Amino acid sequence: MSKHSLCRIALAVGALAGLAAPARADEPGLTPTTIKIGMFGPLSGASMAYGFDVMNAARMYYDKINKDGGIHGRKIEIVQEDDRCNANDVVAAVKKLVEQDGVFLLNGGSCSAPVVAAKDYVVRSGVPWVMLNASGDGALYPPQPNIYGAFSISQRAMGGSVVEFASKELKAKKIAYINHDDAYGAWNLEGARFQAKDNGVTLVPEAVSPAITDVTAPVLKMRASGADALVIATYARPAQLILKKAQELGFNKPIVIAVNAIANLKQLSENVGSKEAFRNVYIEEVLAAKPGSEKLAWIYDLYKANYPNLAGKPDHPQVYMPYGIPSAMTVVRALQAAGPSPTRAKVIEALDRTDFDSGVMAGPIVLTKAEHAAQKSSTYFKFDGEGLTAVPGSFASRWTYQGQ
Amino acid sequence: MDSEIVFLFLQQGIASGLVTGSVYALLALALVIVFRTTDVANFAEGEFYMAAAYLAFFLIALVGLPIWIAAPAMVVAIAAAAGLFQRVVLRRVAAARGVSVNLVIATLGLSYVLKGFVRATGFGDTPRSFPSVVPEGSITLGHASLSYLDLAILGAALAVMAAFFAIFNLTRTGRAMRAVGMNRRAAQLVGIHLGRTERLVWIFAGGISAIAAILIAPKLLMTAEMGGVVTLAFAAAIVGGFASLPGAVIGGFIIGIAENLVGLFVSTRAITVAPFVIIMLVLIFKPQGLFGGRLRVRKV
Repeated sequence: MSKHSLCRIALAVGALAGLAAPARADEPGLTPTTIKIGMFGPLSGASMAYGFDVMNAARMYYDKINKDGGIHGRKIEIVQEDDRCNANDVVAAVKKLVEQDGVFLLNGGSCSAPVVAAKDYVVRSGVPWVMLNASGDGALYPPQPNIYGAFSISQRAMGGSVVEFASKELKAKKIAYINHDDAYGAWNLEGARFQAKDNGVTLVPEAVSPAITDVTAPVLKMRASGADALVIATYARPAQLILKKAQELGFNKPIVIAVNAIANLKQLSENVGSKEAFRNVYIEEVLAAKPGSEKLAWIYDLYKANYPNLAGKPDHPQVYMPYGIPSAMTVVRALQAAGPSPTRAKVIEALDRTDFDSGVMAGPIVLTKAEHAAQKSSTYFKFDGEGLTAVPGSFASRWTYQGQ
Repeated sequence: MDSEIVFLFLQQGIASGLVTGSVYALLALALVIVFRTTDVANFAEGEFYMAAAYLAFFLIALVGLPIWIAAPAMVVAIAAAAGLFQRVVLRRVAAARGVSVNLVIATLGLSYVLKGFVRATGFGDTPRSFPSVVPEGSITLGHASLSYLDLAILGAALAVMAAFFAIFNLTRTGRAMRAVGMNRRAAQLVGIHLGRTERLVWIFAGGISAIAAILIAPKLLMTAEMGGVVTLAFAAAIVGGFASLPGAVIGGFIIGIAENLVGLFVSTRAITVAPFVIIMLVLIFKPQGLFGGRLRVRKV
C-alpha cells in the first residue's frame, strides 16, 4: 500500500473517530455489554449506619438483575465512592464518578443535608441522579430536571405523616414537635405544619441543635404546653436524650419517634435504659411491613446470600438496609423503559413516568415531571423497648410543592 | 406564662443546669490547671474525656469488669496517658524551642488521633451508653425533679473539685504547681522540678477528664464527637477567668444554668448561642473573667 493511501486511510479513520466521539461523549458509561452506575454513600464515619447497608442492598439488587440477564443484554457495572455523609466528600465523590469514571447515571446519597451540596453540579452535568435513601428535600424542591429522591420518604412527607398519625390514630388535638434547628428540621416542620393545619390540630414546635447536651428546656416546655402527644423528629442521639428526659420529668403522653431517629432500635432501647420510658412510645417506619417480617423476607434472604460475612456480624443488616431496594428498582425500571439504546434523556423521561408498588415501602413509588420525591407514606409500630406491634394501615403526607 | 410555670422553669432550669454545669466545671478545671501551669490551651481535653468514656465502655460492657474495678482502672489509665503525652510529645516540642503555639497544635493533633482511634474501633459511630450504677428513680425539690443519677453526678463532681482544691492549696505538690504557674524560673531556683510538675499537672487533668466521663456517659450518651462539649468548658473557663480555678468551676455552673434558662425563657434555638453571648458580655465588661483578678498590663 502506498504512503499516500495510508495517509488517506488514517484521515478517514480519524474522521470517523471524530464523528463517533460526540456520540460517546453524549452517553458516557455505556458499552454494548455494560451500563456503568456510580454509587456513593457513607461507607465510614459517624453516619455510616444511615447508608452502608443501604448501598449494599442496592448493589445486591443490581447483582440479582445481572444474574437474571441484565437490562436489554447489558450488565450493570457499579463504581462506588465513600461520601462519609459530608457535603465536601459528596461533591468530590459525584465529580469523580461523573468526570473520571464516566458513569451513565448516579444512584447515591443517604444523608439529606450533605447531598444538597451536589445539586448544582449534577444539574449542570445533566447526569440522571436517583438518590439512595436521602430525603434530599433541598435538591428535590423546586424540582430539578434530572434529580430524584426521597425513596424512603422526604422530610416534608415525614413531618406530614407523623402529624397525620398523631392526630388520626392517637387523637391528639395539640401536638408537641421537637425538630432540629437546621434546614433538615425546617423541611419536616413545613410538612408537619401543613398537615396540622389541614387536620385542624395545634402544633407546638421546638427546635434544638443536633449537638445539644442538656434537653431539659425543650422537654419541660413540651410538658408545660399541655400537648396530647410528643413527636421527636431529631437524629438518634438527641431523640434518645429527649426520651430519657421525658421519662425523668414525668411526661406521660404518647411519644412518636420519627424514622430518622431509629438507626438502631436495640441501641435506642439500651441507651434510654429504663423500660418505663417505653410505656407509650410509637415509632415511624417507612417500610411496608415490620423489618424482617415475611413480606420483606426475600430482601433479608438476599442480603444473607450476598453478604454472608456481614450478616454474621452483630448489628447487620442495619435498620435502613431495605431502603436501598426501591431506589435500585426505580433505576432498573427506568433503564428498561429507555429501551435497548438508552440515552440519559430517555432515562429521565422514563423516570418522570414512574409509578409502581415496590412491595418494600409503605406507599407507592410515584415520580412525575413536577414531583421528584418518590414516597410519602409511613407505617407505625408500638415499641415497648423490645418488641414491635404494628398499627394497622399507613399514614400519608398531603403536603405538595406549591412553587414557593 | 403564669407564675407557676415561671417557678417550674426557674427551679428545674437551675437544678438541671447545676448537673450539666458540674461536668463543664470539671472539664474547665482540667483546662485551667494545665493553662495556669504550662501556658498551654489543651485542645485535646474533650478527646481525653471521650476516650475515657470509651475505655470505660470497653472495660464494663465488653470485658465485663465490675464498675468498681473498671472505673478506677480507667481513671489511672487516662491520667497515665495524659502524663505520657506530656513526657513524650510536649516536652520534645518545647525542647525544639519553637513558638508556644506549637504546643497547642500538638494537643490539637492528639485530639484528632484519639477521635480517629475510637472511630477505627468501630464503636464510635453509634450513640452508646454503659449502664449506670445509680438506681432508677428521682426526688422532687420544690417544683424541680432530679434523678438519682443527677444527684450522684453533682455530688461526685463537687467532691472531686473539693479534693483537687485541697491538693492544690494544702499540699507540697499543689504548692509546686502554683509556683510554676506564677514564675517558672523562680520555681526552678527554689528546687522545683519543672518537668515533673508539669507532668503531674497533665496527669491530674487527665484524671479529672476521666472522672467527668464516667459521671456523665450514662446520662449524655457517647459518640466519637462527644468531646465537642469542651467548647462549653472553654466558655466556662473564659467566663470564670482563665487563671482562676474557682472561677472555672463557677463559670461551668453559670454556663449550665444559662443554657437552660435561655432555652426555657427565650428559645430552645438560642441554647447553643447562650454561652457565647455570655462570653462576649464578659469580654466586654470584665475581660479577665469574673474571677480573673485585676487586669495586668505588661510593657514589652
